[in-house]
Amino acid sequence: MIKELRRVVGELLDELDGVVALRESSEGVAPHLFRSGDDLTEMVLAPKYPMASVVDLLQNADPSVQLGVVARGCDERALIEMAKRQQVNLDNLKIIGIACSAEEAEECRCATPYPQNLLVGEKVKGVEDRLIAEHEALTRQERLEFWKRQFAKCLKCYGCRNVCPECFCEECVLEDELWAQTGVLPPPFPSFHVIRAMHTVGKCVGCGECELTCPADIPLTILYSLLRRDAKELFGYETGASIEDQPPLLVTLDQVPIRG
Amino acid sequence: MTEEFEPRIVAFLCNWCSYAGADSAGVARIPSPPNILPVRVMCSGRVSPEMVLRAFRAGADGVLVLGCHIGDCHYDSGNHRTAKRMPVLRRLLGYIGIEPERLRLDWVSAAEGGKFAQVTAEFTETVRELGPARQVMEL
Repeated sequence: MIKELRRVVGELLDELDGVVALRESSEGVAPHLFRSGDDLTEMVLAPKYPMASVVDLLQNADPSVQLGVVARGCDERALIEMAKRQQVNLDNLKIIGIACSAEEAEECRCATPYPQNLLVGEKVKGVEDRLIAEHEALTRQERLEFWKRQFAKCLKCYGCRNVCPECFCEECVLEDELWAQTGVLPPPFPSFHVIRAMHTVGKCVGCGECELTCPADIPLTILYSLLRRDAKELFGYETGASIEDQPPLLVTLDQVPIRG
Repeated sequence: MTEEFEPRIVAFLCNWCSYAGADSAGVARIPSPPNILPVRVMCSGRVSPEMVLRAFRAGADGVLVLGCHIGDCHYDSGNHRTAKRMPVLRRLLGYIGIEPERLRLDWVSAAEGGKFAQVTAEFTETVRELGPARQVMEL
């Protein structure tokens, strides 16, 4: 699969300014901008890495740059949601979709482990998130105790926010004393995490980076996945599915965009 | 002897409909519960989830959000925002084990003094049955 990817990227580099992909070097694996003539044997597929934010950075530095990006299903969905909020420009971007393996899908408990623009690899079936079913089986009192215990572990490192491809506000309410108590550890239940969860509605693409990043192993994706299901149930909105669908909290009940 | 629990309820009232609705209730001498602490906002669409949580943090046992009926918003579609975000916030509260019934959204026009009294009375009783929010939240 990596050979096929290198071939595809090699061909695309003739027409693009560069392709963002993972590179393995003596320092480890990191995103890298491959350019025409570069040694593509350094390109690797794993581990999963949030690529959408890298595209954001590069396009900010040069809005006219013609980029390609090697994207998994979640990267592609993240790019779509970012584009709706003017964070990336899909017109200047070639998405080189790769499919995740069955093991990777299992590890991420991912329902859609493949992108729409699939160029390399074979689709595998999505996985039902067993943690959701487990959570649903809890009583209200058990849920309360569960989340109190989980949130009590929070170090307020802001890692979940920092790694999130859909968190790009220049001023974050979670740093504002008015809304989330600053300078208190752990953050008092439940403001901090409820505010963050609310802000994922219609945005969270289920990449799971928040949970991977969390040094306290808080299973944040349970909440965000439930909210993703709600967005579908309440508004018929599927995050990252289509550039055409309007984010539910940014339009009126009549689907007219809300300004400001 | 333990004191009887009196719920404290923060009610966000939109300036154009619901605040005037509360006034109508007063003018018509329709009694409404003294548990309601009104906060006048220009539009129910101004009431962000952060504000609801801030009210709980400040010691509210329940939060009531009242706005103009859909179609009657002074700003055309401000209350559409409210109509969309409050149901989501209610579900989210439920997921983490906080009774969603502690948050209620309803529509009260300037003429509906009776409805204002009825909604506030109902909600006060709902929250009274749930008990203090301190039981579930760290305030």
